[in-house]
Amino acid sequence: MTVTSDDGSVGPLREALGVCAAAGMSGALRVTGRPGGAIHFADGQVVAIETPGAPSPEVLLLRSHRVTESDWDAAFAAAAVAGRPMSTELVARQLMGAGELEILLRTAVADAIFVLASGTVEEYRAEPGQLEFVLPLQPGAETDWLLAEASRRIRVLATLPHQDRVVAASAMSADSVRLGDGQDEILALADGRRTTRDIAFALGRGVYATTLALARLRAAGQLVTASSRAPGPAQGQPAQEQPVRPALPRRQPEPARQERRHRLPSRTPDLRAPLSLLRPRSGRDPGS
Amino acid sequence: MSEDKLLAEMQALRDRVAGITGTAVASRDGLIIREDTGGVNPENLAALTATSLAVAQRLAIEAGQGTLREALTKSSGGYVAIYAVGAAAVLVLLGDEGLDITRLHRESRAAVDSIEALLA
Repeated sequence: MTVTSDDGSVGPLREALGVCAAAGMSGALRVTGRPGGAIHFADGQVVAIETPGAPSPEVLLLRSHRVTESDWDAAFAAAAVAGRPMSTELVARQLMGAGELEILLRTAVADAIFVLASGTVEEYRAEPGQLEFVLPLQPGAETDWLLAEASRRIRVLATLPHQDRVVAASAMSADSVRLGDGQDEILALADGRRTTRDIAFALGRGVYATTLALARLRAAGQLVTASSRAPGPAQGQPAQEQPVRPALPRRQPEPARQERRHRLPSRTPDLRAPLSLLRPRSGRDPGS
Repeated sequence: MSEDKLLAEMQALRDRVAGITGTAVASRDGLIIREDTGGVNPENLAALTATSLAVAQRLAIEAGQGTLREALTKSSGGYVAIYAVGAAAVLVLLGDEGLDITRLHRESRAAVDSIEALLA
């Protein structure tokens, strides 16, 4: 059963997150759906989220070139050898400020919850036990705050027209005026095949921030909806041509607002049974 | 045309699995059959993919591990996944760091079978 909701999948997520928070759970809440992912808790707070739908802290740092790959690798190796957390190592090497890092980690977690809430949630499964993460958010984030933020962002986006595959309205030449503020990079990446998520990963920026940036560029007429798939290069010939890109701005009718749906689980999420396992944990003994 | 259906199948796979940035189908001797790589040089990719598959299959045999299912290369900037398509072709997928590997495992088998049927 699918239900159209202005709130995306916030409802089902709120239920599941609430149980984990109330139980002071340490472990993973695995969410199946699109994009789905795993929400990791320590003592009822969210310390990390893994999802194919949103860039991880490592991607945010490296793709944005905030930290170079070689600096990251060196810090990672040193942290492993010394048994220090990566966050400590990054700060000690002055690759990032402590406050800046915490903001980035908090932003990444909020972005991931927003992406999960904007998608579809089918089922959840709680897996107690503690995993190691490269850059956990410490202290963890409160689930109430994460859900309130996700709802707010969904409401903001509901007021903006946005379409997933966009392409630059006109071929930007080297002589074009540079827009600055990262907009040039976005336009270069908007090739009609990349989704908003793809562009976010390529930039090393959050999906929500990227969505807003794309909406702004659309409103300014710099981006238009990608036409139906550009044909691939002809076969049997060297593939030198790029897919067709529109050379002139196109007038496109506003696309229908993307319907956000969430599907209620086919059965009541079976969170009660494992509740006995969701004891607050102070140590690191995994499983029960 | 079967070639359009082949491209459609490749694009559908890209739609189904988050993080796939490009795909290509090549012959076992390294020639492009159909490509949708999103800018990566398809000729080079096809040649390398065919060789990689052959080496990976030999590795599996050497290690006594049965039939190769997938050869996955993980780099700082993403993934390359290679699958044998029948005896005569190979499928290569390019993915970014957020490639949904779990879903890829679920979808790749059916995709390989569909592509093999289209190439028959």
